Amino acid sequence: MNILRPKRMIISSILLWSASLFTLFVLVYMTYQSLRPKKELLSSTFGWPKALNFDNYRKLFVEAGFFTYLLNSVLILVGSLAVVIILSTMVAYGIGRFQFRFKRGLLIYFLIGLMFPLQLGIVPIFLLIRDLGLLNSQWSVVLVLAAGLSMPVFLLTTFFEKLPKDLYESAKIDGANEWTTFYRIMFPLASPVTFSVCIIMSVQIWNQFFVPIIFLQSESNKTIPLMIVKFTNNMMFNFDLAMSGSVMATVPLLILFFFFSGKVMDGVASGGIKG
Amino acid sequence: MTSVVLTWMKNRPFLWFILPGFILYSIFSIYPIFSAIQISLTKWDGIGAKTFVGFDNYVELFSNPELSKQLTNALLNSGTIFLLNAIVVLPLQIILAYLLYSQIKGHRFFQAMIFSPQFISTPVIVFMGALIFDGNIGVFNKLLELIGLGEYTRPWMGLPELGIYIIWILIAWSGIGVGMVFFLGAMKMISNEVMEASVLDGASYWRRFWSIILPQIKTTIFNMLILTYIFAMTTFDFSFMLGGVSGGINRSVDVMSLFFYRIAFGDNSAVGGTTNVNAMGMGTTIACVMFAIVFVVALFQVLTTYRRSED
Repeated sequence: MNILRPKRMIISSILLWSASLFTLFVLVYMTYQSLRPKKELLSSTFGWPKALNFDNYRKLFVEAGFFTYLLNSVLILVGSLAVVIILSTMVAYGIGRFQFRFKRGLLIYFLIGLMFPLQLGIVPIFLLIRDLGLLNSQWSVVLVLAAGLSMPVFLLTTFFEKLPKDLYESAKIDGANEWTTFYRIMFPLASPVTFSVCIIMSVQIWNQFFVPIIFLQSESNKTIPLMIVKFTNNMMFNFDLAMSGSVMATVPLLILFFFFSGKVMDGVASGGIKG
Repeated sequence: MTSVVLTWMKNRPFLWFILPGFILYSIFSIYPIFSAIQISLTKWDGIGAKTFVGFDNYVELFSNPELSKQLTNALLNSGTIFLLNAIVVLPLQIILAYLLYSQIKGHRFFQAMIFSPQFISTPVIVFMGALIFDGNIGVFNKLLELIGLGEYTRPWMGLPELGIYIIWILIAWSGIGVGMVFFLGAMKMISNEVMEASVLDGASYWRRFWSIILPQIKTTIFNMLILTYIFAMTTFDFSFMLGGVSGGINRSVDVMSLFFYRIAFGDNSAVGGTTNVNAMGMGTTIACVMFAIVFVVALFQVLTTYRRSED
């Protein structure tokens, strides 16, 4: 579609370049600062480091127990994602595949959640979790985040409704029962939609701050975002840890993103229908 | 009895698929909504006895001078974020999306780069903001000194009158890519023939933007405007990290969610009245008011979408 390009692109290019380079600058600057000792960091903003050193990282991994936070974050991400994917594909398949009364009503019921901010229900959820004895356990966060089924159910139901009916019929003729049809044929078929759901939900869950801060109180249960807040709250004292922690929370994820950026972006764009 | 239920369910296989998700969703997403409304009608600290007080909490929220002052302030700040996003960020997202849509050289790189802050968690973004705008070690001040504007250097992060704008800048930087990708997706849906015909007719680059692209994506623009509004009214992370539970110096970065959090879970000492023994009651009341503010607009969206699909 080259003909659609603007003839004079100078101003447009400047806009795009400045937006991109600013982000790039922030990332490089952050990484660079994390390789300087704390004393140098606080005395001069720029200036070449005398020597690159990984002391801040050693401190982060050895003294600050970065792996604990990482493990908690991964546990919550994998747990919530698994529950969301399994439950939402099942619900969507149930609504999309079968004909029954209250079908529309049920779909609307699952969509209601999109309209309510999490904050509205958090007090009752807090009381519920407290009564279940799950306060201060990662399971509380997993349960609360996994219950946000609205968006995945919506995207997947649309997908299953559009699937040709023949597909269900032929599976049935081959003698597969409902459950086998679902997990052998339908679940794999939905994988492109599942993939975009995974992308959208992962970003939300991984960066989730509001829910963990309410439910996770002891240090050994906290996630990476909470760890960084702990360091930055006492910035002058923990500056080195805040630096290396930020890099560890950001750079590996971004490298992954750049490798898969095309697919990720398509996934996000298709999730935009919800808006 | 059990066997009757089982046969009944056996004839309705969809129930097996729907039930597990239905139960989890009902307990943690739907029940809390109604429970919150019910708690907001009581006086309760969360542990002791619950007393039904009708709409007293709502009356107190609007009539208690301290509470209503905080409410107005938080609402104004949330509103400021919404307005700035709607006036500055949204048009910028559309223009960026259009540039990427026309496959300007390097568009893949630009797209990934502008989108990438979405993957940076909020505490890191706030920390980066501190690195850039800090009074002593901030890059922004060094830059000002470098270009000879040294007298304008300030501890930007610590000025209460700028607080909410700093928060807005961080929100804008981290979120601009998402809307951009949504708009880009909408533009890619426009049929090629329309675009090619307009090129043959000799319509210029920006002329096409005004008369073809914008009208074609107006539904997306409208939806994004609503999403921006909901986001601004429920944003929490940035204000909490920059201002703490109190909402910063003079509550300069306070927003609705933070106000709610402070009353329900946080430090209540500064607020007079009955709030201390009524944390849960007053907290849910604020949450309900917040929801009402969001719901009015969300309903408007649902109604217009409904009417459009009727046409």
